[in-house]
Amino acid sequence: MNGHCNVKVNDTVEEFHCNNSDLLIDSRKSVVHHKHETSRKKDEDQSRLPALEAAYTSILRELGEDTDRQGLLRTPLRAAKAMQFLTKGYHETIEDILNNAIFDEDHDEMVIVKNIDVFSLCEHHLVPFFGKVHIGYIPNKKVVGLSKLARIVEIFSRRLQVQERLTKQIAVGISEALQPKGVAVVIEASHMCMVMRGVQKINSRTVTSTMLGVYLEDPKTREEFLTLSRSA
Amino acid sequence: MEHSKQTQFSSSDKKDAGASSVVNGHCDGMLKRAAGGSSQPPAAESGSQRPVMESWREDRTRSVEDNEMSLPSLAAAYTTILRGLGEDPQRQGLLKTPWRAATAMQFFTKGYQEKIIDVLNDAIFDEDHDEMVIVKDIDMFSMCEHHLVPIFGRVHIGYLPNKRVLGLSKLARIVEIYSRRLQVQERLTKQIAVAITEALQPTGVGVVIEATHMCMVMRGVQKMNSKTVTSTMLGVFREDPKTRDEFLTLIRS
Repeated sequence: MNGHCNVKVNDTVEEFHCNNSDLLIDSRKSVVHHKHETSRKKDEDQSRLPALEAAYTSILRELGEDTDRQGLLRTPLRAAKAMQFLTKGYHETIEDILNNAIFDEDHDEMVIVKNIDVFSLCEHHLVPFFGKVHIGYIPNKKVVGLSKLARIVEIFSRRLQVQERLTKQIAVGISEALQPKGVAVVIEASHMCMVMRGVQKINSRTVTSTMLGVYLEDPKTREEFLTLSRSA
Repeated sequence: MEHSKQTQFSSSDKKDAGASSVVNGHCDGMLKRAAGGSSQPPAAESGSQRPVMESWREDRTRSVEDNEMSLPSLAAAYTTILRGLGEDPQRQGLLKTPWRAATAMQFFTKGYQEKIIDVLNDAIFDEDHDEMVIVKDIDMFSMCEHHLVPIFGRVHIGYLPNKRVLGLSKLARIVEIYSRRLQVQERLTKQIAVAITEALQPTGVGVVIEATHMCMVMRGVQKMNSKTVTSTMLGVFREDPKTRDEFLTLIRS
């Protein structure tokens, strides 16, 4: 799941692997995920809803709330669906969303898409973190539809995440899809687990970055990216 | 789990022991009263029959012991959720997540453990002051009761004292009590305003909340920049447009 190979994998995951064994050897999948990235199919969501609902009802009760009051009557269902939406990245793959939007273009200058709003869930506290992603890449004669960069962000961010891993997954995902000369991803986010609870530092921001290819090797390229993505 | 304490705000130490489940201003049908019950009208019917105006009066009391006792079942529920989402609860990053998430959720609803009377700490002072007092830009974090997703924003409070002023941080503490619950922004605004009114009997109170709802930003309509503004004006803030204007101008500057 999500880039980790575990000894104990639940039944559904195993079943999924058996049914989709051809995906295991697909070379276009990210090398970070040797097993398939997801164990969740869309139609499974519906069948899992009752268990999620029951869990949320139990949570409301344990928090001391009255689950029969008007405002909370359908909250377990809404919360369960909301949680499924917030983790929908598990049943999306890069291949699907790229939609063949890769074009041969005689362009080898930097392309930057910045200020992509990103929303994810902290895997440690199940509390949102959100911020902005700036992506830059130097094409190697192949450019990608711009929205696809944002869609790649969506796939990996709509999961239970750790900001460091999210940054890397986006960078590696783009890298594998396009084989560009270099990819740079910077994420600046605010973690509600730090803002709403714990240390409660409201203005704190966490910045992570991943530099691949020529961005890693050439400091001038990196500097150009950082300058361009920072300017208003 | 029974939460049976019902505290009437204006009376100092009357407490009812009954099997009522009183949460966040709503009372369910089961209401038993000990001998010498409070002066509140008994509500035999469900919460929808009670006048909403009185809903602020009920303070739920959840204790630290309750929290500890419910932690295992909360953690179990979160483990079920992780599995239901297709994740592997045994992987390193998720191993202790059910416990962390349970404790976090208890923190986000800690308003249920606190009562206004305790928080005010007798910080009400007689002061010959009858000009507007405003505390603005109070950061507020709450949980949407419909989706269990955070709400955050700012609260601006203004009141016209009637010879009695309140310690300033107590206004922020009142915000904390009511916001750290499963809330609806409209109700939160009103609860804060009414609590201040009952504590101080001022000439007027105004509360404005401007908040971002993650349930609208992260999911659903996904409108990033939308903000919801609610306000409650009581007393002279409601009756006199000039007072209200002054308050709204001052919180804007």
